[in-house]
Amino acid sequence: MNSYPAELLVQLAPVMFVAGLDLPPAPSTTASTTPQSPGQTQTPPPAPTKTQDPFSSLVARLRDALQSQRKVAIWAPERTREFQMILVGKDVRFPPRKLVPPEDLAYASAHSPLSPLTHSSPLYPDGLIAPIWIRKHTALVPSVFVLFLRLFEAPVLHARSPLDPSDPEHERDKTEEERRRDTDLSAEVAARKKITNERGIKLTVVLLATRRMLDDPSLDSRLTFIRRQSGLDSRAALFVLSPVGTSELNDFARSLQDALYEPAVEYYTSHSKRVRRKRNRHSQSVSSYNPPPLVSMGVASTRPLRPEGWTVRYEYKMACFAEFRGEDEVALKHYQDAYATLMIMFGSTAILPPRTKRWAEAKVLADTINVKITKLYLYNHERSLALSHHNSHMRRFADFSRGWGIGEETFEYWSWMARQHRVLAELLEQGSNSSLTFPTNPPPSLTVGASSAGTPVELDAVRALGLNPSHALQHPGHYYYMAARCTEARRERFLANEKGISQGTNSAPGYANEKKVNHLTLILELYTKSYELFKKHSSTMSQGRLTLWIAYRIARTYYESEKFDIAIRFFERIAKTYRREKWKHMLRPLLSTWYACAQKLNDVELMATLLVEMIGYAQDVDESRTLQEDLLAILKNSVPVSAGKPLVVDLKESDPLLDTMLVFWTPEVRVGEEVAFQLSLATPTNMDLSALPIDSVTITFSDGYYPVVLQHSPPTDVQVADTVVRLVKVGKLVPEDEDEEPEEICADLRWKPGERLVVSGSISSEAPGLLTVVSITVVLAQNSWTIEMPHEPCVSHEISTLVPRWLTSLQPIRFLQLGRNDCSSVVVRHRPHELAVELSHQAPALLDEEYPIVIDITNVDERHLDVVVDVLLQPTEVDQAAQYIIFDDQRSSGLIKGIRLGTIAPGVSATKTLYLVGSGAPGDRMLDISVQSTSVQPGSTSTGDDDAEPRSSSSLSAHAAVDSCEKLQTIVIPTSGALTATYDVVYRRSKNAMPALADLSTVEDDFWDDSYGGVAVVTTRIECSAPCGLVIENLKLHRQDNPLAKVLDCSSDESNDDMFPDEYFPGDEFCNVSRISLSPREEQVLGEEKITGPGDYEVVWRRMLPAGGLGRQSTTRFALPTLMIPQDELIALLDVPSVAKLHVSTPIHLTVRNRHSSRSANVTVTLDLDLSDAFIAAGLRNGRLPILLPGSEEKLSWNLIPIECGHVKIPRIKVMDVRRAVLPSQGVGVPSTEVDVEGEAVKVVDVRADWNTARMQSAGDSVVAIPQQDGASTILVLP
Amino acid sequence: MAPPLRLNAVAFISPQNHPILIRTFEKGDELKYHYVAHTSLDVIEERSQSNGPTKSNDCYLGLLYAMDEIAAYGYITPLKMKIVIALPLTDSVVRDAEVIMTFKALHLAYYHASSNPFIRLHDTPAGVGSAKWKRFRRKVDEISRAVGGGSVPS
Repeated sequence: MNSYPAELLVQLAPVMFVAGLDLPPAPSTTASTTPQSPGQTQTPPPAPTKTQDPFSSLVARLRDALQSQRKVAIWAPERTREFQMILVGKDVRFPPRKLVPPEDLAYASAHSPLSPLTHSSPLYPDGLIAPIWIRKHTALVPSVFVLFLRLFEAPVLHARSPLDPSDPEHERDKTEEERRRDTDLSAEVAARKKITNERGIKLTVVLLATRRMLDDPSLDSRLTFIRRQSGLDSRAALFVLSPVGTSELNDFARSLQDALYEPAVEYYTSHSKRVRRKRNRHSQSVSSYNPPPLVSMGVASTRPLRPEGWTVRYEYKMACFAEFRGEDEVALKHYQDAYATLMIMFGSTAILPPRTKRWAEAKVLADTINVKITKLYLYNHERSLALSHHNSHMRRFADFSRGWGIGEETFEYWSWMARQHRVLAELLEQGSNSSLTFPTNPPPSLTVGASSAGTPVELDAVRALGLNPSHALQHPGHYYYMAARCTEARRERFLANEKGISQGTNSAPGYANEKKVNHLTLILELYTKSYELFKKHSSTMSQGRLTLWIAYRIARTYYESEKFDIAIRFFERIAKTYRREKWKHMLRPLLSTWYACAQKLNDVELMATLLVEMIGYAQDVDESRTLQEDLLAILKNSVPVSAGKPLVVDLKESDPLLDTMLVFWTPEVRVGEEVAFQLSLATPTNMDLSALPIDSVTITFSDGYYPVVLQHSPPTDVQVADTVVRLVKVGKLVPEDEDEEPEEICADLRWKPGERLVVSGSISSEAPGLLTVVSITVVLAQNSWTIEMPHEPCVSHEISTLVPRWLTSLQPIRFLQLGRNDCSSVVVRHRPHELAVELSHQAPALLDEEYPIVIDITNVDERHLDVVVDVLLQPTEVDQAAQYIIFDDQRSSGLIKGIRLGTIAPGVSATKTLYLVGSGAPGDRMLDISVQSTSVQPGSTSTGDDDAEPRSSSSLSAHAAVDSCEKLQTIVIPTSGALTATYDVVYRRSKNAMPALADLSTVEDDFWDDSYGGVAVVTTRIECSAPCGLVIENLKLHRQDNPLAKVLDCSSDESNDDMFPDEYFPGDEFCNVSRISLSPREEQVLGEEKITGPGDYEVVWRRMLPAGGLGRQSTTRFALPTLMIPQDELIALLDVPSVAKLHVSTPIHLTVRNRHSSRSANVTVTLDLDLSDAFIAAGLRNGRLPILLPGSEEKLSWNLIPIECGHVKIPRIKVMDVRRAVLPSQGVGVPSTEVDVEGEAVKVVDVRADWNTARMQSAGDSVVAIPQQDGASTILVLP
Repeated sequence: MAPPLRLNAVAFISPQNHPILIRTFEKGDELKYHYVAHTSLDVIEERSQSNGPTKSNDCYLGLLYAMDEIAAYGYITPLKMKIVIALPLTDSVVRDAEVIMTFKALHLAYYHASSNPFIRLHDTPAGVGSAKWKRFRRKVDEISRAVGGGSVPS
């Protein structure tokens, strides 16, 4: 930007002249009447330190406050009504409007001194606009003139008391004095007013007065007087200011500007109008204007300004005035018009002949107008329009330049291009310091929802389709970079030109100037700026690749400018990233420049280092050979700086010299076993290393081995030397703890393209771990040079075809694919422990038995082993099965961990018994037994178990290091039942009468009413179902009476000592009977619930072992079966004695019970006496019982006298339920004529044979009642 | 309307930021496009990280930057493989749809090439881009030709 006149670039603002603020002891410089130009910022003179006068300090502060209101800047997008304040002297003069005085007759036809029409003007005769015109409006002519004046105040009489009578004479004197002074002041103002009025400049007077004066009643009249006298405007023309603080002064400045902004705008508007009038007048005359004939080109210098030129002039002026007014849109429009017309002028060499003064001026004007337009677009956030204008400006002028003979081949062209890029960059940089932001240009899909605030809507619509990349505004770093690139091109052209001159061709125009330019400094400055901006605008997480790229350009520039040491520092940093990310195409030119730097600095070590790296990156055989020759030359002709110490060239991040490939034969090996390996060292086919003086190759394995050293020896056998693959056998590797160092092995260490050296050997380890090659160091030795190049195993060039294969034969060369992914290391593990684990048990297990499983562990290893056993009982899948294990006092239904068997010496065995208890249901039980062994030193066996425990737990972390082993064994144990029980249940109805309804005893706790439930008789059959014999030691019924059922008696109650113990073999069984009284409640009857058995049988038994002994005592329990509640409705119970005596009356009873829950019963009873009957009966023959309510009963009695002996049938008793009578219509085929309905027969049950059986096997609930024959009861009648 | 796209160069970059394949369709300026590809990584990382977790798993990253007569466009696959194309900087609108189409074609070409069972992708950073695998190169050249009738690749 500095290459353009500042006047043409700065943001214009209304100009305010401030006069009357000269410091009283003013130095001569500030007293000068010529105002300072805005370009020079003059530091205000130091405020007077000792002055007591409040006004002088006020003046000083005012100067500061006013001058700090606005800074001259190119980028100032804010439109706050700010003025450009310029301090001037009181008697400042404005430049004359015209050269002739107004009194002259020629005044009307005369022009402004700057007009091209004026002969003395610098623009005469055909100039467009000179910076001096802008300067006139920014520095010499204000829009507003503010005059500071001191209001006269009569000195105060200090001794006067307010009580004193006022001295009228003194008062009069004072008033007169005031009037006189005010008149003087008015005259001064009026004189100034006259000058400003001529130009339409607003004059404002600020009177400085003391605070006391502000309260003076006479002030108003004095002010009015002054205004009248001096002819000041009525509005905003007169202010009074008293000495106040800085912040209030700023407020004052603010309000002053606010008040005067409108007059200022008016001032510039009137200028605009004037110019527009002129332009219109001019454009009318243009129509009649004939373009001058082309022949007049020769006298172009005397030709007047063309109409296009006038248009440019007027448009430019109007744009400037609009800018003064702060009307950006109007200014933009006028600037664009001016620019467009200017382009037309440039389009014709007739109008603007190239390489003339006017042409150069116009070019500057066009460039600056472009900057203004770009800036105004940017103010409005129209970034792409701004950039597009700038681009088209450059493109157009590039086109023009070709026409002017300063095309791309000239340095002038590139100088101009660089300047344009730089101006844009500087503009953006200034903008970014205040309000300008740069879009990141993400695609619309990434910015959904994120509305870009400043972008107009129609631009968004265009954006949706796509983006013109050249219109995407980026941060100024990019444009600085472009400027630097252009400057590089400029330098290139310049150097070419220089060469041309030395060869005698013509020098280009401007060559003399160009020669003075230090291009490299310029390029560096631009790149550095760009670098800084890229750094500033990059995000924190960015890797800085863009900056690296610029740094590379900077380094190159340093190289060009022969600052090699600085360049080298840059290269070091850049190469790091490029190496790491393997961008070798970029690395190669970098390395060669770096090498060139090193050459210039004659840093031989660096040269050697770089050369080695470059050989690694060599593209083809020739390149590698050339580089080797260079390296050899260095090695031969120089000595290293640090002689004696080897130079280490670390190639870990860059491409290696040799491709390496390490292959182990097996992935895993036991301690002490040998494993074979092959290490291949090869060159890719595009590289020739045959000239490299490789002295030795050192192969270092993981710790504990002597490195293998291969020493170079030229091949003696011609045949061997020709083969592509050479094999070197190094034998078994020697561990470091052996005294004897291995010999160095000789091998041919020269590689032609594609050659491969296979180092084959074997290695074994005494400790477990990972074995691999740590590093392969290739050593070059020549003269006093030793260069070490560490290689990693398994690295290769991109082009290399080295794959992990095993060389099986040299003639012919044959490789074996190993079929593993990672062959480059081998894992060494301990040998497994030799433990014999034997599990013995007598399958099957029986339920409820503590089933012993004997674990017998024998150490058949040579090591002492510490053995720990874990047992896991797998959850069973069998329903209703329960199980647990007992091991060493621990009991668990799942896992028992860490049962120690202690240290077992070789050949010794240890035994432990594990008990499995299965109950519930038979089925298979599964056990996982894990035997873990840890080898211990025999000496440590003396340590007790206590401190051995933490060692084994800590060994979990360092599992690999500890020599431990685990053996897993799973056994399945079938389990079958030992005894099975089957039940037969019969129910007998109770003979007891139901308790009466109001019987109070029924509510007592211990009341037992079995009248409903009766008695259940349970017959239990227990069978020995085990596959082996059992000794049953005891059987016992454990009563668990509940409120519904209780055991009355049991057959085992009678102590029968000789029954148990007894041996039972499979199939043997025994029986037990028990009676249970039932007392269900009504609700249970209704719910048809079942009653749990009130107790269980406990059988204690032992297994008879095949060896003759007995097993552990086991207990099996069988619960009494679930009992049913008998369901009856209406029932008749017949109680007949079993035996009667002939001719002796025998009573029989019939009880009719209504056990229905809700229905009452209407029952008739008939005793049918037949002649054949053996009885004579006394009692009811036929009758109806009273209505039986639910739950009630009725008892009938008869006396029977037997008249026959023997088993005689008792008379038939018929009980009918009338309520259940079958209706006649529903008679089953029998037409009944009887009106009396018989009803349904009610079952008559002989209580002596009341076997209401319910088979309770396997919880079956089907109750099968066996119907009885009515009247089939018999009595044995004895004589 | 916008003229058809012309590709100056295509770069495939691995998730580890190693170059896979850089194909230049401009003679004599191969190195420049290496730099373009490498510097683009900066912008790609910035953009994919700032957008990544919050929204849209879109692969297309749009215009990365325009410099030196080149507009670089970026694309990142879900597996963080990056594709950069360099277009010549002309004064015309580049439609995103066209660029996305080109990127998708290139991505597909890479995808097909890397589906080759004989390539061991993780062994060498170059992977399918190495000189051994010609089909991928051919495919990329075809795409370039199809997009804008670019010049014969060097």
